[in-house]
Amino acid sequence: MIQLKLYGLGGQGVVTAGKLLATAVAIYENKYAQTVPAYGHERRGAPVYADVILGEEPILVKSFVYKPDYVMVFDLAVLEKGVDVTEGAHANTCFVVNAHQLNPEFPFINKFGSVYYVDATKIALEVLGIDIPNSAMLGAFAATGVVSIDAVCAALEETFKGKAGERNVEAARRCYEAVRKFS
Amino acid sequence: MDGNAAAAEAMRLARVQVISAYPITPQSPIAEKLADFVAEGSLKAKYVRVESEHTAMSVAIGAQLTGVRACTATSSVGLALMHEVLGVASGCRLPIVMAVVNRSLASPWSLWCDHQDSMAERDSGWLQFYAEDPQEVLDYLLIAYRVAEDPRVLLPAMVCMDGFFVSHTPAVVLVPEQETVDSFLPPYNPANLYLDPDDPMFVNDLTPPSDYTEMRYQHKVAFEEAFKVITEVQEEFFRLFRRRYSFIETYKCDDADVVLVTLGSMSGTAKYVVNELRAKGYKVGVLKIVVFRPFPADQIRNALKHVPVIGVMDRSAGLGAEGGPVWIEVSRALSGLEPMPKVAGFVGGLGGRDLAPHVIEKAFRNLIDIKEGKIEMRQGSKWIDVREDAMKIREVKVNV
Repeated sequence: MIQLKLYGLGGQGVVTAGKLLATAVAIYENKYAQTVPAYGHERRGAPVYADVILGEEPILVKSFVYKPDYVMVFDLAVLEKGVDVTEGAHANTCFVVNAHQLNPEFPFINKFGSVYYVDATKIALEVLGIDIPNSAMLGAFAATGVVSIDAVCAALEETFKGKAGERNVEAARRCYEAVRKFS
Repeated sequence: MDGNAAAAEAMRLARVQVISAYPITPQSPIAEKLADFVAEGSLKAKYVRVESEHTAMSVAIGAQLTGVRACTATSSVGLALMHEVLGVASGCRLPIVMAVVNRSLASPWSLWCDHQDSMAERDSGWLQFYAEDPQEVLDYLLIAYRVAEDPRVLLPAMVCMDGFFVSHTPAVVLVPEQETVDSFLPPYNPANLYLDPDDPMFVNDLTPPSDYTEMRYQHKVAFEEAFKVITEVQEEFFRLFRRRYSFIETYKCDDADVVLVTLGSMSGTAKYVVNELRAKGYKVGVLKIVVFRPFPADQIRNALKHVPVIGVMDRSAGLGAEGGPVWIEVSRALSGLEPMPKVAGFVGGLGGRDLAPHVIEKAFRNLIDIKEGKIEMRQGSKWIDVREDAMKIREVKVNV
């Protein structure tokens, strides 16, 4: 069982990213996946998160994620808004962060597992023309090997369809190529 | 797909002919998806837009009386607003099937899951099924239609799913072929009351004390008949769809000396905790109640008669009672057993609070301590996840 937490801001497609990832794994890799979105008083710009659980076997747990194995940070602004993205993280928790570069001061550096980063916002703006980095971030996440980039792209094509599907696939693939491991 | 999508898909597969649903969080996606199905033509049904849940149920009653299969869905205060007409539907013996997305009742105002809404309707004369995951939502809705419409039963049915934990949690769902569902669920054929201008009859007229008791008795007998019918329908469902269901589901209970009784989505988390505790050597199990009405007292007694310590997790407060409603009914079902097991009640997961693995484990640890004689079992339900500062929060001091 692999547990993930996705952090970002309202309007960045965090909840949709959770569903897309679950679709990629469940439908296109024939495994098991579920997401529990935390609905509440959402508004554009406020911190939001989504929890995803992936597995080779049917997933029994029906609750939120408390000990994530992977954490995706869609926007580092959540740190300034008081969100602790390292909550529940363990020694091997891997972080995938939307950032042009990383500051060694960030709380997830050198304390947990590996850290991947990519400027997903820049790629989303270039390819999609809007600051919705969710498809780009999923492409970056595929670099961890947990899900294949092909499965991510298939889920994007199914969800967005037509031209929008093609552009989201391009954003994902470009991020998949551009993502770097922090060392 | 999530639980809401599974519910809409089941309604489409059941070829419902009239839909009257009023949107309410977290049920709204069901109302929206059914509207999409009708608009795109994939479901040939009349979608009636209504101004309240009371009307939603009233329209479903009128539609079903004309001899068509009707459906609706609601949550929380929407279900509470239906209360009056729920009794009309069940008393007229109309097999309306409704998805209930469990959400707390006001007040405090909350959008999130607990079971007080459907527990408040447990004696309204409706069948009640509780789904653990989206697959069960789809399957129980199909089973519910078959049971409800059986001439021996003729009762409306609620299929309950936990708000967000099932309704908004996408998971793998196997969707059956339409032809198979058609063979399982033939077109609705009214077997009791009907509205026909060419053949008028009194429906729901004033019933004097000389007849009322007998009509209630008929209603009670229908629940007794439902035991047989549900068993038959579950058997046929297994034959056609290869998924086996029962009134209860036991998980690792055979050699267990501690069992937690659950309802809805918490059951999955409890099974996960059972696996973790078994790896540490504890003989624990889970008994999930699938059908709450009719209440499967015999099945529960048979499954648990060898278990010395049993816990029951209620996701509603049972205010003013000795404990939660599920605990009270399970305790009653087990009374008279020799030797009498200890039956401890828990209340938890209210207003969307997560019944996370660590909370379920705390309940199991409590039961294990009772089993090992380390603590005494307390009377009434123990509130398993209440914060220590409960009596201090939102304290208002006037004229100090």
